[in-house]
Amino acid sequence: MSFYPEPTNIWESIEYSTLGITIAESTWMFPTLETIHVIALVTVLGMIAIVDLRLIGVGSRQLAVTKLSKDTLPWVWGAFALAAMSGGLLFVSKASSYVINPYFLWKMVMLTLAGFNMMYFHFFTYRTVEHWDLDPTVPIGAKIAGGLSLVFWLLVVFFGRAVGFTLGIFY
Amino acid sequence: MGDLLFNFTEWLRGTPLTDLALAMSESAPTLWIGEHFWSIPIVQVIHILAIAASFASILMINARILRLAGSSTLEETTTRYVRVIWWALVVLVLSGLVMIVGEPIRALINAVFWVKMTVFVIAIVFTVWFHKRVARRFAGGAEASAGAKAAGILLVILWCMIMTGGRWIAYNPG
Repeated sequence: MSFYPEPTNIWESIEYSTLGITIAESTWMFPTLETIHVIALVTVLGMIAIVDLRLIGVGSRQLAVTKLSKDTLPWVWGAFALAAMSGGLLFVSKASSYVINPYFLWKMVMLTLAGFNMMYFHFFTYRTVEHWDLDPTVPIGAKIAGGLSLVFWLLVVFFGRAVGFTLGIFY
Repeated sequence: MGDLLFNFTEWLRGTPLTDLALAMSESAPTLWIGEHFWSIPIVQVIHILAIAASFASILMINARILRLAGSSTLEETTTRYVRVIWWALVVLVLSGLVMIVGEPIRALINAVFWVKMTVFVIAIVFTVWFHKRVARRFAGGAEASAGAKAAGILLVILWCMIMTGGRWIAYNPG
């Protein structure tokens, strides 16, 4: 017998799924997933910042941009996958509270913008990288990409933290 | 584990820390933080950014030690990133202090908090040792010994423990 109400929308169906209920009812699963999420996201953030700071000319200026990218990208993708999975499971356990939380929605917007910024950089700006790979100062397009990336990821963290303080206060 | 932490927190309640935390709760900075909803989340964001800087630095040193990354010598790589770790530590301690001042009882009368602080002190002592002893042997283009590799991996584990402690402060039993 289920103690949960009949779902009235897709988010409630997710929340009241076996997986959602299991995480929500457990004393340790939610904090454990949060811990994995934190370790994964600081890895994503730190590694991305290393390349971004190189692009805007603050750090590692004597290192090749291609080499730094090659060294950091496996960490970024691995940790991002871990953050997305742990984040997805956190979401499932309280789906209907997250989807009406404006900070959560803003976080998703910032993640999307960070993704588009990265794709634009990768498919357009980065194509000429051989000409400026070792230059301490990179072209303006690459600088802007680095600056935007730092801003978007900072906002991802801020809105993510804001969610933790406001979950459940919106109806 | 839960019982152990519960009993530890119970014990903390009987120490002068409780008086200290209660006195701090009445202080102007604590009251100010309590009245400003966004102050704690913003300081937490700063704390997280500093962890990102130090943790990514430790991972980059490790990647170089294990020869998985980097075009610079081990000495250059370690010098570059250890500097970042020290600056990040300053930010971590300052933002951490603001959080303690912001919520003194939640932090000080909390077993997980003190476990985290213990591991944090161990990690700092270990980082100093790593910097002074292990990294010195990287001079002149030398590669890492088996001991240095183990030390690097231990640093990663210690930082994961610190982050775990940080998250579980909010879930302290008791």
